[in-house]
Amino acid sequence: MARYTLVQGTPQARTYHWVAWTLFIGLLVLVAFAYADTGQLNILENSYSVSLTRLNKAIAYVIAVLGLQVVVGYTGQLALGQSFFFGTGAYLSAWLVEDQHWPWLATLAVVIPACFLLGVLVGIPALRIKGLYLALVTLGLAAIFPSIVQLDSLDEYTAGAAGKKVNSDIVAPGWLPLDGIASVLQNIPFFGQYFGDGDLSSNDADRIWKFFVFTVVGAICFWMVANLIKSRPGRAIRAIRDNETSAAVSGVHLSRYKTMSFGVASALGGVGGIVYVAELGIASPGDFSQLLAIFFIVGLVVGGVGTLTGAVVGGIVIAFVPEWSSATTDVPGVPARWLQGPTGTLVLGILLILLTFVLPGGIVAGVRKMRAKVVRVTPSPPSSPAGADSAPPRESGDTPHPVDELSEPPTQHEDVPATSAPPG
Amino acid sequence: MELFLARIFDGFSNGATYGLIALALVIIYKATTLINFAQGEMAMFGAFVVLVLATERGLPMWLAVVVGMLISAAAGALIERVLIRPFDPSDHLPLVIITLGLFLVFGALAGIIWRFDPRGFPHLFPAGNAITVGVATLTWYTVCVTITMLAVVGGLTLLLKKTKIGLAFRAVSSNLESAELSGIRVGPTLQFGWALAAAVGTLGASIYVANPIFQLEPSVMARVLIFSAAAAALGGLDSLGGAIIGGLIIGMVQSIMVQYVGFIPNELGLAAAVFVLMVVLLFKPSGLFGTKSVERV
Repeated sequence: MARYTLVQGTPQARTYHWVAWTLFIGLLVLVAFAYADTGQLNILENSYSVSLTRLNKAIAYVIAVLGLQVVVGYTGQLALGQSFFFGTGAYLSAWLVEDQHWPWLATLAVVIPACFLLGVLVGIPALRIKGLYLALVTLGLAAIFPSIVQLDSLDEYTAGAAGKKVNSDIVAPGWLPLDGIASVLQNIPFFGQYFGDGDLSSNDADRIWKFFVFTVVGAICFWMVANLIKSRPGRAIRAIRDNETSAAVSGVHLSRYKTMSFGVASALGGVGGIVYVAELGIASPGDFSQLLAIFFIVGLVVGGVGTLTGAVVGGIVIAFVPEWSSATTDVPGVPARWLQGPTGTLVLGILLILLTFVLPGGIVAGVRKMRAKVVRVTPSPPSSPAGADSAPPRESGDTPHPVDELSEPPTQHEDVPATSAPPG
Repeated sequence: MELFLARIFDGFSNGATYGLIALALVIIYKATTLINFAQGEMAMFGAFVVLVLATERGLPMWLAVVVGMLISAAAGALIERVLIRPFDPSDHLPLVIITLGLFLVFGALAGIIWRFDPRGFPHLFPAGNAITVGVATLTWYTVCVTITMLAVVGGLTLLLKKTKIGLAFRAVSSNLESAELSGIRVGPTLQFGWALAAAVGTLGASIYVANPIFQLEPSVMARVLIFSAAAAALGGLDSLGGAIIGGLIIGMVQSIMVQYVGFIPNELGLAAAVFVLMVVLLFKPSGLFGTKSVERV
């Protein structure tokens, strides 16, 4: 049993949530300033960079994996071609910013509807194509993306094999006292040294600003998806996941909600692509291959299928594992040969298989189990007789496909989306 | 006309390989109603084993292929036992995840062990042309590939129709529970299916890269898998003969389209395969020769 049990809705529980969120946001700010210049972690003889560039890339992946959570995790459709929409978003945004001179943020207004429609277009055949076949078709779609953007007829828009370069216009605004914050952090005794010294270079300031902008974009995506999952359509798609036939019998319009979930997932893939290209400054065909589609699935599974926080964990894992394993050059007992090749892919593959066996709910489920030993937030006692004999609270991350989730008392749904749970 | 014939011959040599890999997919689908996304990478790995056996151990090429197939069969059986059997076959997601994990692992292992530079594969078949009609040449490679493919289908059909394990396999793939009730040991039978598929896959990949115009490298089968999956779906995912015919059709479509449909560039061969796959699944989900699935609603 948990050491501390808080009842939902009481001031203590609210304080707990506030404290957790404040710590989380504080941590983000600290990370931004600490790693604005290329931060390095040294373990053994290897140095791992934790620069904001990587973190920004991780945010792009996080948003794409969030999309997969909607369609695979919550709707149960095996649509695995997220890299297709990720790439579409990236190229579309790059073209608008570079050739049409749009401000970066404005491309969201085009990419989101475009990817939504594209997702719906793919989703319409998916109403007939089910299960494994859908997985096959969508992976095929992911596989052909690089050859589509390299078509001669698209060359003037996509710049072919060389990749589309784009200059991002996200520059730190002058009114933001980034230097001031940096100097405050630098003057903290003992820890100040981690924040560099002197004023930030304009590059660093831009990077920090980008990190904040991307985080806000990501947070808005999470907020919207969390609300979607809690709402009527959200309950409908979860009903489809748990049992399609009984969902249809209960009056869920299968084709409408499935197509909607495809569209939402693809739009999120597109947003991820926008962030990706804004950070990297180039969209090259090789980046959006089948492998990326499979990496997104790794992110989905490693974080936890059907959890929102799982997308955060998963996105970070797939952004950092391949980079860090290629940075690893010296591990005692491992021949150098094994560290020079595609070790990251190997690690991700093994992680994928291993987690399916030992921790089917992903890392998030594991963390939640551990946290439940210390703090537990129980729903307030139900007033309706229907919920009087409700089971002790469970969190959706423990079971990827809780069949009875929908029959739980409505108060329980407050706790279902992971964003309402404190991070960390 | 001669050009057309040349494209037909080309289509045959590619199509036969797609057919062989499609056969491997079909065998696994019949056993575990699962599309093995790692089939291409497993076959690629098998082809590397064959290459090592032939060049480093000095085995004659054909013996190397046979030994490579046996090793792949053992590996396939092991994979089924350790990674596939613990999961409920009706729940697709974990199984898809496992095969995608295998996809990553085999691809990465091949890259780590053998690196990414393409390697020439020793000739399996006599070089040169069998028939020359104007510009159209039918190489011995194409002839031998077609013969091998027919031999494999014939052998598999005999194996499934005439032997006891084949009967058991057909019983399990037709109805798992009834088969179990009539005393068939389901586990080893499915394992047999995976072993068979892995062996056929290795043969397919070896033949594919033995084509003088291709070389062996870790990413060689990624595209082939999509073509083969389209072939398998076109033929009906549970029909052996259908896989071969599907493979040939896809091979032909690819080679003829590249020649005659000017506005579709070469790179879009893969897109055409995905398109065929999608159309087949949309309008005839059981393919040309597959069993229609009856769904209780």
